Amino acid sequence: MTNITDRQLLKEIRAKMNERKKYEQEVQMLTRELQDVTKKLRESESLKSHFISNISNEIVNPFTSILGLSKSILSVEKNDWKKVVSMVALIHSEAFNLDFQLRNIFVAAKIEAGEVVPNISKVNVRGIIQSIIDAFNLVARKMGIEIEFEWQIEYGFGKNFYFKTDSEKIKLILSNLLNNALKYSYKDSKVIIKVWADEEKLSFSVQDFGTGISDKNQKIIFERFKRLDTGINSINRGHGLGLSITKALLDVLGGEIDIKSQKGEGSTFIIHVPEAKNVVEGFSGEGNDIFFDDGDEIF
Amino acid sequence: MEQYSQHFLYPSTLFASKEPYVVKTILGSCVAICLWDPVAKIGGINHYMLPNWNGNDLASPKYGNIAIDKLLEKMGQLGARRENLKAKIFGGGELIESGANGTLIGERNIRVARLILEEKKIPVIASSTGGKKGRKILFFTDSGEVRHKFLDKKAQ
Repeated sequence: MTNITDRQLLKEIRAKMNERKKYEQEVQMLTRELQDVTKKLRESESLKSHFISNISNEIVNPFTSILGLSKSILSVEKNDWKKVVSMVALIHSEAFNLDFQLRNIFVAAKIEAGEVVPNISKVNVRGIIQSIIDAFNLVARKMGIEIEFEWQIEYGFGKNFYFKTDSEKIKLILSNLLNNALKYSYKDSKVIIKVWADEEKLSFSVQDFGTGISDKNQKIIFERFKRLDTGINSINRGHGLGLSITKALLDVLGGEIDIKSQKGEGSTFIIHVPEAKNVVEGFSGEGNDIFFDDGDEIF
Repeated sequence: MEQYSQHFLYPSTLFASKEPYVVKTILGSCVAICLWDPVAKIGGINHYMLPNWNGNDLASPKYGNIAIDKLLEKMGQLGARRENLKAKIFGGGELIESGANGTLIGERNIRVARLILEEKKIPVIASSTGGKKGRKILFFTDSGEVRHKFLDKKAQ
């Protein structure tokens, strides 16, 4: 004879029901998550095809200009150097743009393939920032925009400040921010680059006085392939990868990005990057330094 | 012992090889899935930080669902056969005390691994997941062997 009272039975049934409910809830949650992921994948597909049509403009337009311009140089009257110089300047800015965009696309592909790793060395910060500014200066001048450089690091040997980080990644991050700043600036304005540092981190900001970004859009701009169609200097140009790349590269460096912006007043993007450690702990990447510990368990 | 080349696996990246490699990585709440094909002796490993891609960032192997698909794809290109693959899962600790609501990143990372591997019918033959400590693992791509050690210090 089972001596379970009604009460006990009821209690057990209730417990079972509760358990079941819990499982059901979990299944529901998983289903929702799955639906969510599927939806995102579908959206991403459509963004991707949009991206490809964008990108073909990005590549075809500069090429068309370069081809056309170089052809006209060939037929310029002898000794008309002024004309030649101005055409070469145009060719340069188109080629520069093309190079920059292609670089971005390849880096994005590498990030998505999981092949981007930190490559740390002692970096002359002022040197690399100056080199990026120099590279963009010609393009900026053509737009009538001045790039101001404010170096706010006092210590060290004054001019040269060395910081352990990945120079290529810093360059690409700064290039993207500067490129955006120029794109969203008005003619005859300026872009200010500031650099400062404290004990453990390097910071720099890129400020423009262009269109500015509304609060709502500040969230959107980091999404891949999304662009705001309010660029002043190059309507409908760009692939919408710049800030996604910036964010992914900052991930690798352990850095952060902040935006300060108000619609109509321009925007400031601020980057903080911590100083990298010497090498990965217990691994220099070359020697026989993968060692076995006594405490190793084997799976 | 055979001569192994070495590779240090950074977070959000993945690695696969036909040649014998020993891959080292350090795990906190991140999860690494070791996959290998014992017949072809091809091994691969990923190291992801978050469970599911949010649809906004670059679709990189920082996210579990993408990291697993990409690793399978890469190993397939190298000649590994899906039906031979075996998996081992490591990591997913909760190193940071989470508040009452608990983000439980480690737990969610582990769950994604198990769910997707089950869906793909890849058997998980060993694992060391969860807990409150970081881990160091060495993965041998040819034999599938993993040497595993808990770390006392904080890891990524």
